Amino acid sequence: MSDGAGQTVDVCAFWVGDAIYGIDVARVDEILPRVVPLPVADAPPHVEGVVHVHGTAVPIVDLRRLLPGGPPPRTAKPKVILARIGRRRVGLRVDGMAGVRRYTEAEILPGPKGNAVLAVAGDDCRLLDLLGLLGNRPAERGPGL
Amino acid sequence: MTAPDATLAELLARFRYRLNEESPGLVEVPSSPLEADLPAGGEELQLLTFGLGTAEYAVALGVVTEILRARPLTEIPRAKPPLLGVLNLRGVITPVYDPSLRLGLPSTVPVCAGPDCQRPPRPARILVVRTALGPAGLWVDRVRGVQRLRPNALERPAGGPTGGVMGVLRTAEGPCTVVDPEWLLR
Repeated sequence: MSDGAGQTVDVCAFWVGDAIYGIDVARVDEILPRVVPLPVADAPPHVEGVVHVHGTAVPIVDLRRLLPGGPPPRTAKPKVILARIGRRRVGLRVDGMAGVRRYTEAEILPGPKGNAVLAVAGDDCRLLDLLGLLGNRPAERGPGL
Repeated sequence: MTAPDATLAELLARFRYRLNEESPGLVEVPSSPLEADLPAGGEELQLLTFGLGTAEYAVALGVVTEILRARPLTEIPRAKPPLLGVLNLRGVITPVYDPSLRLGLPSTVPVCAGPDCQRPPRPARILVVRTALGPAGLWVDRVRGVQRLRPNALERPAGGPTGGVMGVLRTAEGPCTVVDPEWLLR
């Protein structure tokens, strides 16, 4: 699709705490219902461990420890989103899924600066900067995940 | 993390997934040793091992299209011994054979077709194999599983395959004879 007001963004939306966040649907490989990660020594606190998914080890990141938020809605069922970052995959633990949403560019406003929320779409869905959120973690923990 | 004057288009470009995007903070997790242990692609031999009586046999996994729980068959009047009966497999009439006769073993298959039909034993299975004449079933007493191995792990008979025996595999449970399914049906 070319540039212009008609351009749309497909967002996989999910609950973390009492807020809805979204990532690009093209990143999402799978939604896993129950995941019991294998703990990893020296991992930063937001990394729960690794799981084997179809023969490859995938780190599981608890987004609830990275994003502020109150208690999630009662109806939300915790899931792990298997998402792609570049050529790697990462599991994102979230409080619940909130569907796939399509926004036009007119519905999206730039987000507050200096945090992991790139933009806010129509009904208060916060578009996450996944690279920034996971990439720029403080490195004080040494060679962890 | 975002530039102070990033436009919406730049923000969305950052939001969208790209294969070549960089994630410096994520350390690559080594892929599991499950993959590393396998022999290189194409080199691997996959066998389906099954039991007849007390002995273990195997066929190439590639020819097996399906494993069915043994079930009563439709009787064929005056059928010759290796043929046990036929099976309606989703509309395809599939003959089912008893491989033990060809292997010189006493038959372990109960009466499984016709009016005196008995309930098949629980571990019994029918292997549906691809043959030149269409699908055919092999009634076996049990299925053990899939063995993945390098081709040189198979002890082949000297002077090429004799009859339908393609080789012998030594396993922890004892020797396992690898047979040609087409030969079993002949």
